[in-house]
Amino acid sequence: MSFTIGPAGDTAIRLSFQEPPSPRLTRVLLQLQRTAQDYFFNALSDSVVGYATLTLFFTPLSLQRDQVTAWLEKTARSLSDSQETHAAHSQETVVLPVFYDPAVAPDLVTLADDLGMTIDALTTLHSATPYFAYATGFAPGFCYLGTLDPRLKTPRLSTPRRRVPAGAVAIADQQTAVYPCESPGGWRIIGACPVTLFDLAATPVSTLAVGDSVRFEAIDEQTYRALGGQL
Amino acid sequence: MRTLTLDKAGIASTIQDGGRLGTLHAGIAAAGAMDPLALKAGQHCLGHRAGEAAIEIAYGNVRATPSHDCALVVTGAPAMLLIDNESVPMRSIQTLSAGQTLTIGPPSEGIYSYLHVSGGFDTQPIFNSRSTSPREGIGGLHGSYLRDQDTVPLGDGAPPIDNDGADPGLCSIEQRAVLTLRYVPGYQYDELAPALIQRLNGDHFEVTSKANRMGITLNGPPLKTGVESLLSEATCQGAIQIPPNGNPIVLMKDRQTMGGYPIPGAVIESDCVRLAQARPGQKIRFAACTPQEADNIRWLEHHYVETRLR
Repeated sequence: MSFTIGPAGDTAIRLSFQEPPSPRLTRVLLQLQRTAQDYFFNALSDSVVGYATLTLFFTPLSLQRDQVTAWLEKTARSLSDSQETHAAHSQETVVLPVFYDPAVAPDLVTLADDLGMTIDALTTLHSATPYFAYATGFAPGFCYLGTLDPRLKTPRLSTPRRRVPAGAVAIADQQTAVYPCESPGGWRIIGACPVTLFDLAATPVSTLAVGDSVRFEAIDEQTYRALGGQL
Repeated sequence: MRTLTLDKAGIASTIQDGGRLGTLHAGIAAAGAMDPLALKAGQHCLGHRAGEAAIEIAYGNVRATPSHDCALVVTGAPAMLLIDNESVPMRSIQTLSAGQTLTIGPPSEGIYSYLHVSGGFDTQPIFNSRSTSPREGIGGLHGSYLRDQDTVPLGDGAPPIDNDGADPGLCSIEQRAVLTLRYVPGYQYDELAPALIQRLNGDHFEVTSKANRMGITLNGPPLKTGVESLLSEATCQGAIQIPPNGNPIVLMKDRQTMGGYPIPGAVIESDCVRLAQARPGQKIRFAACTPQEADNIRWLEHHYVETRLR
């Protein structure tokens, strides 16, 4: 796997792999993140895994650029070439209940129409396969899940909504996600998930983590309400 | 309990300290004072520790009344201060008696002023910080912008006031016809068209009114990248994000932690502060600098601040 290492502003270093996202690549990034956390310890204030990147944020004035770059170069090379790295990672499977219904999903009817399929076919496809958690961020608890069945591939709304309700299950391009909190958003809403995905009082605060496997399970209105869902 | 009541809260006042560390991976931006130097100056005057919070006020227009006598100082963007009807100076310790009213007028230059009260604001820290992140509803008094009639609890541990507590003279407001923002090239710099980079480095931009704690949108020659979106990845403070319309946005303290627009580089922290205090209409130019130059600038400014705070 080939990669580049460069600065991300004046206190962070960014490593970017030149290859399409895959669970294998994400596991390499996660392993690299853990190794960096152990190695740099307090000098590393934060680190974020993207689809094909790892960004290491350092405590200002404690960043030894040449040293970090050399270490990253060596470690990334050995981790990406090693086979056992990928098997060693344990993967959580999270099942999220979803109420797929036009009552909670403003885009469901038009989207089914656009894609030339019934609502049933659309939601069955969406809940048929497990997804891989590629990245978290954008908003607290937000998790980018992929890869969507190519038959569900859809562009974002040309004008994002100002308010997407918490729990909205949405798709865009070949990704899907649940909005953990009310926020603006341009993805198409196809359902609602009554499970809380971000809770400051919980440890960890986010239900989903990078590397998790996530499956959606269709529920009816009664179950949705019983789980605390709002219409 | 000692409190401070905001009879008038201003248009975008929030409780801020130095911000939180280590929450980016959870999707929570660092937040923190837009002008950390002004925050430090006030902490220094009152003998506060570095973690103490202040009320960050955008464009002034705040009126506040304490429940008990207290000492305070206002730093940052210079504004007219009144205690009841008497004019008092900025950046020097004032005593506000119970029931008296402090009025902070609109600043004559800059944007962000900081109201520090001796003993600090005693709101609930989230991830070791009292900073408010309104988008996430985290921190501050109620996770949001302060509102008229809000009553903010004050800390009890008011340190004894050192009357020599001098103004350290830290300032991020610069009056220049053109403000230079030094940036470290990175991210998609090498993949963007040379002509676009040339425009970024050579042309003048202007701060627009689309400016807040999340980011500051600039107007100028449109930088059309032809890229709608990229694979999402971590953003950093100062990142110059170029959305499809070609008007760059410099990401600030409350930025989204992940982004998918091309980024040719990121403005160094010291110049982010100057940009934060720049008003709409301010002319901007970008100047690329190496990471080593950025480090040197940080060392020098760190040293300068430390010597001022002695």
